[in-house]
Amino acid sequence: MGAPMVPNLDDRVAGPFWQAANEQRLVVQRCDACGHLRWPPLSGCPDCLDRSATWVDVAGTGRIWSFAVYHRALHPAFGADVPYVIAVIELDEGPLMTARYTGPAPLVNDQVEVFFESLVEGVTIPRFRPRSD
Amino acid sequence: MSIRGKVAVVGVGHTKQGELPGMAVEELAVDAIRLALDDAGLALDDVDGLIACKSVQGLGNDVAVGGLLGINPRYSQSLDYGTCNFSLHLAVQAIVTGMADVIVMCYGANARSAKADFTGPVNFQVDLASASGLVHIAGHAALALQRHKSLYGTTDEQFGSIAVAQREWAQMNPAAIFQDPLPMDAYLAQPYLVEPLRRADVTMISDGGVALVVTSAERAADLRHTPAYVVGMAEQSGVRGEHTHEYLTRPWLRDAASAIWQSTGLTPADVDVLYVQDPTAVWTLQMLEYYGFCGIGEAGPFLAERNTAPGGTLPTNTHGGQLSESYAWGWMHLVEAVRQLRGAAGPRQVADAEIAMYCSSQAFSKAACSILSNREDA
Repeated sequence: MGAPMVPNLDDRVAGPFWQAANEQRLVVQRCDACGHLRWPPLSGCPDCLDRSATWVDVAGTGRIWSFAVYHRALHPAFGADVPYVIAVIELDEGPLMTARYTGPAPLVNDQVEVFFESLVEGVTIPRFRPRSD
Repeated sequence: MSIRGKVAVVGVGHTKQGELPGMAVEELAVDAIRLALDDAGLALDDVDGLIACKSVQGLGNDVAVGGLLGINPRYSQSLDYGTCNFSLHLAVQAIVTGMADVIVMCYGANARSAKADFTGPVNFQVDLASASGLVHIAGHAALALQRHKSLYGTTDEQFGSIAVAQREWAQMNPAAIFQDPLPMDAYLAQPYLVEPLRRADVTMISDGGVALVVTSAERAADLRHTPAYVVGMAEQSGVRGEHTHEYLTRPWLRDAASAIWQSTGLTPADVDVLYVQDPTAVWTLQMLEYYGFCGIGEAGPFLAERNTAPGGTLPTNTHGGQLSESYAWGWMHLVEAVRQLRGAAGPRQVADAEIAMYCSSQAFSKAACSILSNREDA
């Protein structure tokens, strides 16, 4: 068992994502110039190169684009977690987001929703589970 | 400007591949260079170009290799995490533009003995994906494979045919590190590593040095071995990275494919032996489809028909590849292609092999492909 892999909440680019997660909100960047929704975080828009963006809430719902089941911990930080599922979620708003999935064995195209878990003291991480409604 | 037939690989050399404790990557590279020059029948005095590439640990560039090699070639370059294909392309460009005449290109790795860490997040910063547990390239490859399975119904047995066929090839290669039999039932009995990938679908890590000698066709004609002429080459980047839609499936590989088929006028049916750099077998699955050896989504049935295995229509990674022969970042793939074109591959020689193709990639950021032939006019 190793120390957990913890993001930097003060990161110049991705920090606001983690601060929003601490408030149980899932956010992505929206380019102020062209409106492109981008994930993962980037300091400029890859479509129009504008540097200004606003973090906007997304619904936290989407479908599984793909998934993989870690049967062995390939990093000591996840030794206590195996087996666990990593899923690429196609958010309803468009971006693909890679995160942990918790629940019964998934299938591609399954509908999922976000929920939040404490990773370590002061850091909350979004995860996905089968959509409840 | 066509590069067709203007440049050839005339020498190949490599150290033992495996565990070589106590060796620096530069020492391994230089040992391989000396063997490659011997193979070509050339001497260090003939060399006026050096192309090195950084090893996993960030060492092994031309400035580090140069001292041990003891020469000041007029042309000297390094590639950052370059696979062999990218080095070859640089060599061809330098030779056709007159910047060098005889180039040695080299690679050395001691990742196994140095116990290099491959488990961290691929981009080395903690983001949502890595904090969630997406670590090691096997995870990304597993996601790409699961998508393929879901879209096209690809089965474990079909996909497993890649590792099984390469092990069959490796059993005819005395240099291969993994030679134990791997029949399909044994493959399927292996536990998953990152489902749907098993251990046999992921590269080993080994130490070793590899080098090739590249020169002009004119000079190649006077040397001792049948030259392996470079017929065509292409590259395509995907450096937009995760902001490329569905980047895990590496859709830009198709652009490297179109470029090489268009510039050479050749088709997949012309290829006698195929090499795919294979840190995971998923790369082979993707290359077979994007380069047009089978249709998109059809790699599963194509593999199950044993096309890539000994006796098949498309002998692939006939040395065993990174899954069975050695790690070597795909450098041994090009060595094997040259041996096949020389007719010097021993018991695994593919009869009448005239056209070899090598498709490689640098994970999710770059693709390169080359076609070589023992016929200057191919």
